[in-house]
Amino acid sequence: VDDGTLLVLACAAAGVTWLLFAAAIAWGRLRMAARRRAAREPVVHTGWPTEGAQPRSPAHGDEPRALLERGLRSSERDVRVAAITALGRLGARHEWAVDGLIEALATEADTPARVAAELDRLAPRPGARLAPLLGHPSDVVRFYAVRLLAGYPEPARHELLALTRDRSPNVRAAALEGLRPVGSPSALRAALACLEDTHPSVRAQAIRTASALGGDAATPFVARLLDDDSWWVRETAREALATSRDHAGTTVELALRSGIERARLATRQWSAPPGPDIDAGLTGAVP
Amino acid sequence: MSFEGVLRASVLACGVYLAVLYTSYIWLLAVSFVETRRRRRERAVDDLDVLTDSRFAPGVSIIVPAFNESVGLPGAVRSLLSLDYPEFEVIVVNDGSTDDTLERLVDDLDLVPADTTSREVVSTVPVRGYYRSASDRRLLVIDKVNAGKADALNAGLNHSRYRYVCGVDADMVFARGALSRAMREIAREPGLVVGLTSYFENARDPAASLADGVHFSGPETRPLFAFQTFDYLRAFFANRTSWARMNFMLCAAGPFQLWRRDLVEELGGWERSFTCEDLEFTFRAHRVLRERRRDYRIACLPDCVGVTEGPDSVRKLVAQRERWQRVVLETCWANRRMWFNPRYGTVGMLGVPFFIISEILAPILEVLAIATLAAGGVTGRIDWTDFALLTLFVAFANSALTAGALLMQDREARAYRASGIARLLALMPFELFLYRPIMGWARLKGTWRFLRGDRAWHKFERNVRTEAAA
Repeated sequence: VDDGTLLVLACAAAGVTWLLFAAAIAWGRLRMAARRRAAREPVVHTGWPTEGAQPRSPAHGDEPRALLERGLRSSERDVRVAAITALGRLGARHEWAVDGLIEALATEADTPARVAAELDRLAPRPGARLAPLLGHPSDVVRFYAVRLLAGYPEPARHELLALTRDRSPNVRAAALEGLRPVGSPSALRAALACLEDTHPSVRAQAIRTASALGGDAATPFVARLLDDDSWWVRETAREALATSRDHAGTTVELALRSGIERARLATRQWSAPPGPDIDAGLTGAVP
Repeated sequence: MSFEGVLRASVLACGVYLAVLYTSYIWLLAVSFVETRRRRRERAVDDLDVLTDSRFAPGVSIIVPAFNESVGLPGAVRSLLSLDYPEFEVIVVNDGSTDDTLERLVDDLDLVPADTTSREVVSTVPVRGYYRSASDRRLLVIDKVNAGKADALNAGLNHSRYRYVCGVDADMVFARGALSRAMREIAREPGLVVGLTSYFENARDPAASLADGVHFSGPETRPLFAFQTFDYLRAFFANRTSWARMNFMLCAAGPFQLWRRDLVEELGGWERSFTCEDLEFTFRAHRVLRERRRDYRIACLPDCVGVTEGPDSVRKLVAQRERWQRVVLETCWANRRMWFNPRYGTVGMLGVPFFIISEILAPILEVLAIATLAAGGVTGRIDWTDFALLTLFVAFANSALTAGALLMQDREARAYRASGIARLLALMPFELFLYRPIMGWARLKGTWRFLRGDRAWHKFERNVRTEAAA
């Protein structure tokens, strides 16, 4: 084969490849258009037996559950992820799917944030069922359980208070965040105690919680952290002090307008003078 | 050696170069097809919108360095503030603009002087003042003395509060789902993915091309823009996607580079002494992480995150591309210890060598090919039929690679109109004759300026501004 023939063959190969890719684009477009058309047409006369469209009998109820539980234990990540996605969708209708997701979080079947997001979407249904996870040996699981419970902390109020002394700084910080809507003197006491924590993120979170719960009464304690070693803590303290008054106004307004429980609790702390419990909290927590 | 021998050696060198280059491109395209298919399968089983819509979404600090961007910047910032993502802040850094960039921002975005402090994790030139939007607390504007894009990014880094930082260009208009799409990848593997970039479109007027923040009205089918679109398609779909698959994604592109903040701080921020910061930072991240034996991944996503402004004249295009060539040379030279070094894994053995072949050697081989052609033509040693066939082969081979990239893009997004795709396909074979000579000239110019030690940005006038001035 001479050079000229080789070049002709190479040209033909390159040209045909170009045309094939162009044809593949056109084919993909045609398939998409066909699918869109099909989606717009009403489903009639499919030829499928009508019983296929009937709801499954209770006898079949456990089948999807068992399948998805097996999926959660699969060695293939795609299968585990698909199982979590399916449980998230079914969670709106089936309690067992919520339990399955809690189990997935406890066993760390996939990225915990992924499972936690599914559970969060189903709030408040997981509710108290999340509380056992607060004692889980894994820091990661405890952290996500605390953050999930932050949306509705009443079921686990005492555990949240205890977790402000957890060994993991992430869990301590998350517990402080979770205590913010609780609005009790004990929550304020815990927040003030955490202003002395060794970890900056915990101190920063404690500032936010103490300011939210203690208002002006927490100011002297927060002000001490303006000289903290960590920029994050100093900045959080500065912002908390600068905006505390504005924030109080907004919270009061929000509560009056919507009557949200969380805002109502916070407002009580803002508008009432500190009572004996809060005083005790303020004086007792910080030496 | 005789003249005949020199000529033969030159032809052989060019032939070997072409063979190596096209073999690499075909291999990369094949890997990209596998990777995009894998991604489609992943998307089918996972509903990551759940995560990016939730309060478990990791926060992102978006840093927008701006120098003389008064025309497009308010629009770009507005598009950022409308991003469909639960937790983010926008930090605009006015890098000592000499036009009315700051005044326009103050007027258009309701800015008021603010009181804030810097973490000072990276040293920068002095900051003159801070402004915060009265209507949107997520927006912080830093006004500082001019010191280049890298320094502006570092100033933004010093004020960023979230776990991830995203450096973007001020001339870009963002799709509403840009951050959600990008953060999905991080949500999937938060411990492993330390950085990423994502595909973006190219248009003369980004604001008009993405007017509703969702639907791209392109592609631009005027030849100069179409050819630039080909460059972007190949760069993202044929190259970066496969680089990322083999973990040597060597350029998190400046218009959209997302990094984990602790890594940026660990590496000392963006380097000021280079012409451009994005390529150098990505190289450095690979180098340091490989030297410290860490598990990591730098990803490239096929999702379109926005539209950037492409040069609308040959002069502007040459200015932009010669700068890119300089950056490639500066970065490759600064990291020469990585060349063919097995210590750096796929980066040293595949990524950097590919850069050397496709970017550094290209202008040298182009000059050699032209000189050989001229010498052969003058001495009557060229078979013009073979030459025409070879040229046709290169034109079709380039078209095939570009069409492959376009196929992947179309499967991912279906963003282009059918008529636009047809025009792009028809223009592909002409790229070699109309666009490549301009690129060749820009690369030569860039190489020359690199050898002279030129580090200037040579910023070109924005398209819309040129029109307004006219």
